[in-house]
Amino acid sequence: MHPAGLAAAAAAGTPRLPSKRRIPVSQPGMADPHQLFDDTSSTQSRGYGAQRAPGGLGYPAASATPQAAFLADPVSNMAMAYGSSLAAQGKELVDKNIDRFIPVTKLKYYFAVDTMYVGRKLGLLFFPYLHQDWEVQYQQDTPVAPRFDVNAPDLYIPAMAFITYVLVAGLALGTQDRFSPDLLGLQASSALAWLTLEVVAILLSLYLVTVNTDLTTIDLVAFLGYKYVGMIGGVLMGLLFGKIGYYLVLGWCCVAIFVFMVSRGSGLVRLRAQVPRRHPRRGCQLWGSDQRHIAELKSPGVAAQPGGSGGLPGRGGILSPGRGDPTQAARGWGSPAHRLQAGLSPSFHSPCMGAFLPEFPWKEIL
Amino acid sequence: MLAAMKNRKSILELGIHFDHIRQKTWTVLNPMKPADGSIINETDLTGPILFCIALEATLLLAGKVQFGYVYGMSAIGCLVIHALLNLMSSSGVSYGCVASVLGYCLLPMVILSGCAMFFSLQGTFGTVSSLVIIGWCSLSASKIFIAALHMEGQQLLVAYPCALLYGLFALLTIF
Repeated sequence: MHPAGLAAAAAAGTPRLPSKRRIPVSQPGMADPHQLFDDTSSTQSRGYGAQRAPGGLGYPAASATPQAAFLADPVSNMAMAYGSSLAAQGKELVDKNIDRFIPVTKLKYYFAVDTMYVGRKLGLLFFPYLHQDWEVQYQQDTPVAPRFDVNAPDLYIPAMAFITYVLVAGLALGTQDRFSPDLLGLQASSALAWLTLEVVAILLSLYLVTVNTDLTTIDLVAFLGYKYVGMIGGVLMGLLFGKIGYYLVLGWCCVAIFVFMVSRGSGLVRLRAQVPRRHPRRGCQLWGSDQRHIAELKSPGVAAQPGGSGGLPGRGGILSPGRGDPTQAARGWGSPAHRLQAGLSPSFHSPCMGAFLPEFPWKEIL
Repeated sequence: MLAAMKNRKSILELGIHFDHIRQKTWTVLNPMKPADGSIINETDLTGPILFCIALEATLLLAGKVQFGYVYGMSAIGCLVIHALLNLMSSSGVSYGCVASVLGYCLLPMVILSGCAMFFSLQGTFGTVSSLVIIGWCSLSASKIFIAALHMEGQQLLVAYPCALLYGLFALLTIF
């Protein structure tokens, strides 16, 4: 970028603190790409491998070209070495800070999946009725990787389902001739906003109810992300089969997600919430007041759904297929403690599933 | 002849190896052939940029001036797949390697947009051929990634996001 400046600085010999400037890699033969990429260029490449070593660039034979003359100059060698060390420091800085904001090693657990797991999990999401054992297997206090246990949460399916949902919704809007690329971004950000709202609501309810669980935020995001699979199914069926197909598949997916969440949630909470059971009297009172709390929390959650759906652009009639049922079903269950906390999430879940589905394009298809 | 030799040497000094490019192109064009992991480790962006420019040229000849979309989508797609592969594989992968592989596997898409110059792709034949081409691109890309990163049992999982990315390119080509 400023080779003269760097050369001058190097020539002056003053050790400078690393600034934010970098030597661009695009100038051929100048900077060392090794420092910007992780050992991608192997040293076994014959002709140009020697070329890329920093500092050893005297090419007496090629001194005719101005580039080689530049490279033969010792000051510019030093400038190159300085530049490449700057680039390495920049890369280190980025790596260090990324780890501070995004816990990469923790996230890697959620992406340790394979094709069999994904296939079985998708089957479970659409048909959870026959699955018996919902508890996550543990291996010395740490949960087993999703590859080995179909009950473990993962982030691959929610992430891919989210992206696919945004694209399929764009496709559905495209069939209505309402598509433009910025609408994709709008869909994506509104879906993300709803997801964040749900996560915050469930975290708040967990805090208020003071259930001791090991559920981390990432686990919650994973569970809440599973609903996108059903939504994609609904929109695709709507595109293929019309209004009836849309409502049918959406209803099926709502019920399936509800059963999935409750069974999974009960499996998790039963395993982890051991504390209240040691104090039976206090435990009963605790769960009794919790029941009221959760019922109160559910109704505003359900009522918020039509309000939320009205705020989204270009959509008049939004579906809310699961509005009545999950609330009543969850209230009817009463005392089993481990069902209460699990019952909370589907009651937010199923209504929110309908909240930002695109307006059904039955006018064009029928 | 001396000038030709000098040109060749300066191209080699730039790091452009035509035989490597040819080898990688054949790996992409032949989806049944197993990929060789070692050639992938070179970060070679010459081939990919050539293919991007070829795609834009064929799109231009078909009447669509969409250079920005091609570059924008490739950059964002490469970022997303780089993040995903780093999370899914035990060994990390560099951004340049991901960009290079995805760029090479764009070649069948260039063929599709070449066809779009002569006839419209909006019918059934267009849909079917674009689905075939998307499958071809994503299978080649996932095959190369699996070979380079030693991931087992995850080929379809890697192929799916690549298919989404190439699907976006196909949408550009068709509409």
